[in-house]
Amino acid sequence: MHELGIVIEVVKQVEQFASEHNVKTIDTLVLEIGELSSVIPRYIEEVYPMAVEKSMLKNTKLKIEITPGLGKCDDCGFGYNIAQNNRTCPKCGSHDWTIISGKEFNIKEIYTA
Amino acid sequence: MENFRVLEIQKRVYENNDLEAEKLRGELKKNRTFLLNLMSSPGSGKTTSVVSTINILKEDMKIGVIEADIDSDVDAITVSKSGAKVMQLHSGGMCHLDAGMAREGLDIINSEDLDFVILENIGNLICPASYDLGAVKNAMILSVPEGDDKPLKYPKMFSKVDVLLISKIDTVSVFNFDFEAVKERVTKLNPTIKVFAISAKTGEGMQEWCSWLKEEIIKWNTK
Ligand SMILES: Nc1nc2c(ncn2[C@@H]2O[C@H](COP(=O)(O)OP(=O)(O)OP(=O)(O)O)[C@@H](O)[C@H]2O)c(=O)[nH]1
Ligand SMILES: [Mg+2]
Ligand SMILES: [Zn+2]
Repeated sequence: MHELGIVIEVVKQVEQFASEHNVKTIDTLVLEIGELSSVIPRYIEEVYPMAVEKSMLKNTKLKIEITPGLGKCDDCGFGYNIAQNNRTCPKCGSHDWTIISGKEFNIKEIYTA
Repeated sequence: MENFRVLEIQKRVYENNDLEAEKLRGELKKNRTFLLNLMSSPGSGKTTSVVSTINILKEDMKIGVIEADIDSDVDAITVSKSGAKVMQLHSGGMCHLDAGMAREGLDIINSEDLDFVILENIGNLICPASYDLGAVKNAMILSVPEGDDKPLKYPKMFSKVDVLLISKIDTVSVFNFDFEAVKERVTKLNPTIKVFAISAKTGEGMQEWCSWLKEEIIKWNTK
């Protein structure tokens, strides 16, 4: 149920934005999801049709842009993709890192006709 | 290819909730009410530990409890026997609460008249970790039978909370549970976390946990 609740919240926020900006129809909604966020894009896509059913986004396409989970090694300073390297620095093997990007979960933009 | 107008929104999805939570925390501060958000997986001992905590602190302060469940009110009935003010919040099938729901619970229970409110969150180690409810402190319970590997499997929850209660320590002879390993794993995720080992059944560790809590409540409730 978690993803459904989230997407319903997203829909509410987009509808609000649309009414404030006098937008009548939305062709595409673009979400930005980081590889290190707790949101799983596949689940979002799955529940999306249910969440938009009774909203102005009923016919709006969903586009998800994934931002890479990048970090910097705390020990040797090497920058690498945390998500793709099994959370281990490929240079020195350290498991300590600081996240640079990839935690975001944003409503990025909409395309209107 | 059609031509579209692109309208940038650039808004964090959790922004509304975070703003609401911050507002709520401000109101709690003004009313001198300390809100504790208590999270854990189902059955880890939230309700039992809440009752023991109330029994230790109730002479010193006015306490309320918000019981959140997807359905049912058995926990609310159990807790009301401790003498604390209790209300039951139903999440309507949702796996987490948000700041708006926390506010609803606080309003119904008239939290401005209370010194300390415990919010027993829905049993779930994943979704509640994403929502700031406006609490002053966030705590989680990990019970000994669940195993010492949970910080590895649910890092987000362990890295977000202020306090970890390791509960049901009276059962440690039955389950292999390495306290030091848990502390090490948790501290790595969250260097400032406080860890208390408790048993709501034997009362072991409850005094330490409650004196820390009482100190935090006094700190928050005095200007
Ligand atoms: N041995 C032992 N059992 C405990 C302790 N604390 C709770 N229990 C038992 O664990 C079971 C679950 O406890 P609850 O307090 O209902 O757990 P909960 O986290 O509130 O459960 P939900 O609200 O359903 O998620 C009950 O059978 C309790 O009696 C403890 O310190 N020691
Ligand atoms: Mg309970
Ligand atoms: Zn390194």
